Amino acid sequence: MDSRPQARQVREKWDLASRFFDWITWADDQRFAPFKYRLFQKVRGKTLLVGAGTGKDFRFLPRDGEIVAIDISPKMLERAALKAQCFPGTIELKEADVCALDFPDESFDTVLSVCTFCSVPDPLQGMREIYRVLRPDGKFYLFEHVRSRIGPLGILLDLLTPLSRRFGPDLNRDTVSAVRNSGFRISREENIYLDIVKWIEAVKR
Amino acid sequence: MKDKENFSSSKRFSPAGFVIGDYIGGIFTGVLVAWAVRLVVSPGVDMVLAMILGMAVGMLLHLGIGFFLAPLLGMFQTMVPGSMIGMYGGMLFAMRDSMGAGSRSLHEALFVGALFGALVVAGFHIYDRVLQGEKENGDG
Repeated sequence: MDSRPQARQVREKWDLASRFFDWITWADDQRFAPFKYRLFQKVRGKTLLVGAGTGKDFRFLPRDGEIVAIDISPKMLERAALKAQCFPGTIELKEADVCALDFPDESFDTVLSVCTFCSVPDPLQGMREIYRVLRPDGKFYLFEHVRSRIGPLGILLDLLTPLSRRFGPDLNRDTVSAVRNSGFRISREENIYLDIVKWIEAVKR
Repeated sequence: MKDKENFSSSKRFSPAGFVIGDYIGGIFTGVLVAWAVRLVVSPGVDMVLAMILGMAVGMLLHLGIGFFLAPLLGMFQTMVPGSMIGMYGGMLFAMRDSMGAGSRSLHEALFVGALFGALVVAGFHIYDRVLQGEKENGDG
């Protein structure tokens, strides 16, 4: 599937959202910070951060990290560049579509994705690309919101998705299955908020 | 250099503040939905119609309230309980009002709305605690 026209739409949507992104996610940032501080310390070696956004998550990353942070939105990256200057380690910012990465095979030890696969048009293709650029036994960590498996909550997220999709992410993605279907072995899952916001740990087989 | 030293120590809002905020948000949503439903549903209105109307009014109101509360309390922490209060609260309040049962005065109806909002928020806080303890070990 050619994801380029959809990728352009996604880029335009997040370029627009970059103007108010930090403001609108202030509370999420505060509430999820203890989880991110704890979980993002698992990142090791050369790391690809997928979905850099405005760089709000840089502060949770290990200070000695060697990070390549990508985002589809150049406007988001402009804001991320300011925060990257304050990061004690190395962060290289790059505009890229996760569905068409231009990194060589097996070039990263770890990939971390933060609230990204809710808006990637073809998540399976994106995860296959991540599989390709990870070294064997490399770790793929995801901090993502997904469709709830709790009946009424799942239906609710289905109902709200046509609206949320216009301004931001889909709310009803089955990201856990997508990780599995792209070839990874899931080693651990942790609920962060209900069963909607999740931490997923996967390993390249 | 100072920026780098302070990089991971930016001021954070107290978790207790968010919990109190969740309850205030839930109570506010419950009261507003109860008030709106009382405006549009009178005793004697067909109950099924009233319930659908109440649910629609509740959903619309919760979306409006959520727009303002989400940046302060968190997207999902606002949207999930808010939509339950809006959808199910709106439906239940409309059912009671159409039957002329329960709350006789507006004040009583608003109190029921506030109580419902607080209970839903409490329910989600408890459920979240239970689910946070669940850690799945994956594919083995």
